[in-house]
Amino acid sequence: MLTAFRLAAYSIVCLSLFALAPQGQGQTYQGKELVKAELLSDTNAVVPGKPFTVGLLLRMAPGWHTYWKFSGDAGLPTELKWKLPAGWKVGEIQWPIPLKTIDPGDIQTYGYENEVLLVQEITPPAQIDNASVAFAADANWLVCERICIPGSATLQLELPTSTTNEPKNTDLFARFRRLLPQGWPEPKIATANWTRAGSDLRLSVKSATLAGYPSADFYPLPGVETVVGHPRVESRSANEIVFRVPLESASKDLSSMQGLVVFSQRPNGNDRAGWQTPISAIASASSAPAHGIFTFLFFGFLGGIILNLMPCVLPVISLKIFGSIQHAGQNRRKILRSGIAFAGGIFTWFVGLALLLIALKAAGREITWGGFQFTNPYFVLALSAIVLVFALNLFGVFEISLPQGVTRGLLSSTGGQQEAASFFQGLFATVLATPCTAPFLGTALGFAFAQSPAIILSMFVAIAGGMSAPYLLLCAYPAWLRFLPKPGPWMLHLKQFMGFLLLATLLFLLYVLGAQRGLEGAIWASCFLLVISIACWMKGAFILPTASVAERTVVRVIMLVIVLVSGVYFIGGKFESTNISSANSQLRGDWQAFTLERLQAELEQGHSVFVDFTAAWCLTCKFNEANVLESSAVRQAFQRHAIVKLKADWTNGDPVITKLLQQFGRPGVPLYVLYPGKSEEPIVFPELLTKSIILEKLETASRAVAAQ
Amino acid sequence: MNTKTILITLTSFIAGAVFAFDPPSVGSAAPDFSLTDANGKPHSLSQYKGKTVVLEWFNPECPFVKKHYGSGNMQKLQQEYTVKGVVWLTIDSNAPGTEGNITPEEAQKITASWKTHQTALLLDPEGKAGRAYGAKNTPNMVIINPEGKIAYEGAIDSKATPNPADIPNSTNYVKAALDESLTGKPVTTSQTKPYGCSVKYKSS
Repeated sequence: MLTAFRLAAYSIVCLSLFALAPQGQGQTYQGKELVKAELLSDTNAVVPGKPFTVGLLLRMAPGWHTYWKFSGDAGLPTELKWKLPAGWKVGEIQWPIPLKTIDPGDIQTYGYENEVLLVQEITPPAQIDNASVAFAADANWLVCERICIPGSATLQLELPTSTTNEPKNTDLFARFRRLLPQGWPEPKIATANWTRAGSDLRLSVKSATLAGYPSADFYPLPGVETVVGHPRVESRSANEIVFRVPLESASKDLSSMQGLVVFSQRPNGNDRAGWQTPISAIASASSAPAHGIFTFLFFGFLGGIILNLMPCVLPVISLKIFGSIQHAGQNRRKILRSGIAFAGGIFTWFVGLALLLIALKAAGREITWGGFQFTNPYFVLALSAIVLVFALNLFGVFEISLPQGVTRGLLSSTGGQQEAASFFQGLFATVLATPCTAPFLGTALGFAFAQSPAIILSMFVAIAGGMSAPYLLLCAYPAWLRFLPKPGPWMLHLKQFMGFLLLATLLFLLYVLGAQRGLEGAIWASCFLLVISIACWMKGAFILPTASVAERTVVRVIMLVIVLVSGVYFIGGKFESTNISSANSQLRGDWQAFTLERLQAELEQGHSVFVDFTAAWCLTCKFNEANVLESSAVRQAFQRHAIVKLKADWTNGDPVITKLLQQFGRPGVPLYVLYPGKSEEPIVFPELLTKSIILEKLETASRAVAAQ
Repeated sequence: MNTKTILITLTSFIAGAVFAFDPPSVGSAAPDFSLTDANGKPHSLSQYKGKTVVLEWFNPECPFVKKHYGSGNMQKLQQEYTVKGVVWLTIDSNAPGTEGNITPEEAQKITASWKTHQTALLLDPEGKAGRAYGAKNTPNMVIINPEGKIAYEGAIDSKATPNPADIPNSTNYVKAALDESLTGKPVTTSQTKPYGCSVKYKSS
C-alpha cells in the first residue's frame, strides 16, 4: 500500500517536473538534428516585480553555426519574438562575443559554434494573479555549415509564481555571461578615438591593458544603411592599436561606428573579452573628461572671461568701467589698488563658493552650480533687492556710505572706501554671473564636480582669474584708459542711465520670480521692493550730515521697522504662501512637460524624444529656444521625424531633474538631449545650439532608429 | 621594444597584407571575366560592352536563392529586363565538392525545370569571377552600365530573410536601379549590404 502510494507520488512529481521542464525543439535536416532550441531561465520561480533572466539556448551539430547580431558577409542574426502577457517587459538580447570565421574568398562571418545562450531580462509586473506563468517565444535562426538552413521554433517556458526564488542553470548562465561584452572602460584604462580618412574610419585605441593580448580585433555593428568592409589592424604598438574600418557605402557624414573591441590570447580564444565602443564623438566628448586637468583649467579661465560678456553681468561691467573712468584722473597706484580690490572681490566670491560646495559635497547634499542660487526664490528676491538698491543709488536717491568700522576693518590704508567699493563690486559682478553657465564653463564645472576638493578649488580660482583678467590688465596698463572719454557732466547722465540697465536686470529677476511663484509671487515681492525703495528714499532725504544724531537715529529706526514689517508681511506671509508654480505654466506650442515616467513611456512606445533642460532664469536657454528650437526649420524637422519634445523645467530646482543633469555630468542648465530610441545611446548637444547641429543629429538619429 | 611588441607588430603586418584586398567599388570599372555556360559556350564581359549587364551570384541549394526562384520573383525580373535588352548573367562560383556547385548537366536541368530567363548560367568553379567582384553571397547582385562601370552592388531587395512571404513587402533594389540606369538617371541606392548564404570558394 505504502509502496503504491510512494509510486503514485513519485509519478506525480515526475509528471509535474516534466510539465515544468523547458521544452526544447529540434531542427532536423535530412534526418540529422542540426539545432536544438530551448528556453531557460536563471531562476526557479517568478517573483512579482523582480526582474529575471531568460535565455535561448541553441545547441548546434558539430561544424554548424548560427550568427551574431551583425552576421558579417553572410548569414542572418537569430531572432526571438516574445509573446508576453500585458504588463511584462523584456529587455534586448545580450549577445555573447561571437567567433569570427574567415572562409575562402575572404568571407568573414560572426557567429557561434556548438552552443550559444542569448539572454534577455524579463521584468514581471508588480502583481501576478496566476500560480504559474507560461511564456512563448518565436525563434528564427539560420544555421550554416557548407549550406545554410533556416530554422524556427515556437518555444515555451513555464514558471511557478512565488514570493521567493532560487537561482537555476547557474553554470550555464555564468559561462555565457563571461562572454558578454563590457561597456567602454574608464579613460585611464582605455581611450577610443575615431577619425575619418576618405572612405575609411580609423579607430585608435590607447590602452596598456590590451598589450597583454596578442589577438585584438574590431567587430563592427554598422547601421542598416552602412555597408562595412573588413576591419583590420592597421598598426599596433605597445599601448596603441589602430583599426581601419573601410566603408563601402558612401555615407559621408559617418564619423564613428558602434562595435566591439575584442581581445584574447589567440583569435577566437575562449578567454575572449570585449568592450563596446563609445557611440558618437559628441557623446564621448561630453561624458568622458578625456581632456587633462590643465585643459579644464584653461576652459575655466576662458569661461571666466566670457562671464564678463554675459547679459546678466553687463550692467555691472558698465558700472565698473564707469568707476575706471572716475579713477582715470587719479594716480596710477590707486587705480591698480582698486583693480586688485575688484579682482579680490571676484576671487573671494569664487573661493567662498568653492569652499561652500566642498563643504556641502562633503555633507552629501545634492547641490549644483547656478541652480543652488537661482532655483531658490529667496535668493532671487534678495538679489532683486540688491539690484534695486544699486539702481536707486545710481539715480541719486541716496548715497552709499559704508559703515566706517567695516571699511576700517577691511582696509587699513587711506582711500579705503573706494577699494572697499571695488571689492564689493567685484563680489556683486560674480553673484550676477553665476546663473549664466557659459558654454566652456559648463564642461569645466561638470568636470570639477566629480573631482577632489583641491581640484574644485583650483577650478573656481581659474574662473575667478578669467573673470578678473580684463580688469587687472586695464589697471596694470592704465594708459589704455586714455582711450576712454574725459570725465564731465555727462557722467551724471551716464550714471543715471546705468540705473535703467539695473532696472532691466530687476525685470529679469522678477520674471524669474514669476516663473517660480506665479504672478502673485512676483506682485508680493514687488510690494516688498517698493517698501525698500521708500526706505532708500528716506535715507537720502533725511539722513543728512546736517541732521542731528537723534534725527538720524529716528529715521534709521523707522527704515528698519518698515523694512522688517513689510518683510514679515509680504515675504514671510503672502509670498511664502504662494504655491510653487508648476512647470506647465511655461509650456508653449507642442512642448510637453517632462517626467521620468513620461520619457520612459515614450521610449517604450518606440518614439524618439528630445528633452530641453531649461529654467526661467537661464538666458542661454532662452537664447537657444528663441533662435534655434523655435525656428521654423527646426520645428519642422522635429515634426517630420515625429520626435516627442519634452521640456524639463529646472526653475525651481526639481530634484529629479538635478539628478539627471548630474548623470550627464552637467552642473546646470542648459542641457539638450536626444533619445533616439530605447536601445540607442542618448545624444548630448552642446550648450550653445545651432540649427545645423540639430538638423544633422536628428537625421542621423532617425536613421539609426530605422536601422533597428 | 620588447619581444612581445615586435611579435604583435609583425602579426598585424602579416594580417594586414593578407586581408588588404578590397573589391571594386561602385562607380569603378567592372573587371572583365570569361566563363563558359551550361552548353560549353564562352561568355566574356567585354563582349557585352555597350549593354547593361546584370550579374547574379547563384547557388541552387541556398534557401535565400530558393526564396527568389521558388516564388518566381527572380525569373520575372530576368524576363522583364532581358526583354528590354539587358544581359543577365547568372554565375555559380561554388567550388567543386561544396554544396551549390553544379555540373553543366545539372545547370541545364535547373534552367529547364526552374523556367529561368537569364541570358546565360555561367560556371565559375575556380571562383575567378566571384573573387574579382568580391561576391560573398548568394544571391549577390551587380549591375554594370553600358560604359562598363559598376552602377549597383548588393542585395536583391530590402528584406534579409529566407521567407518568400516577405517579397511583396520589400523594396527591390535591382529593379529600382535598373529602371533608373536604363532611363539614364543616376542610381539612387547604388550600394546595399547583400544577404544570403556565403559563396563557397575553392581554398586558394
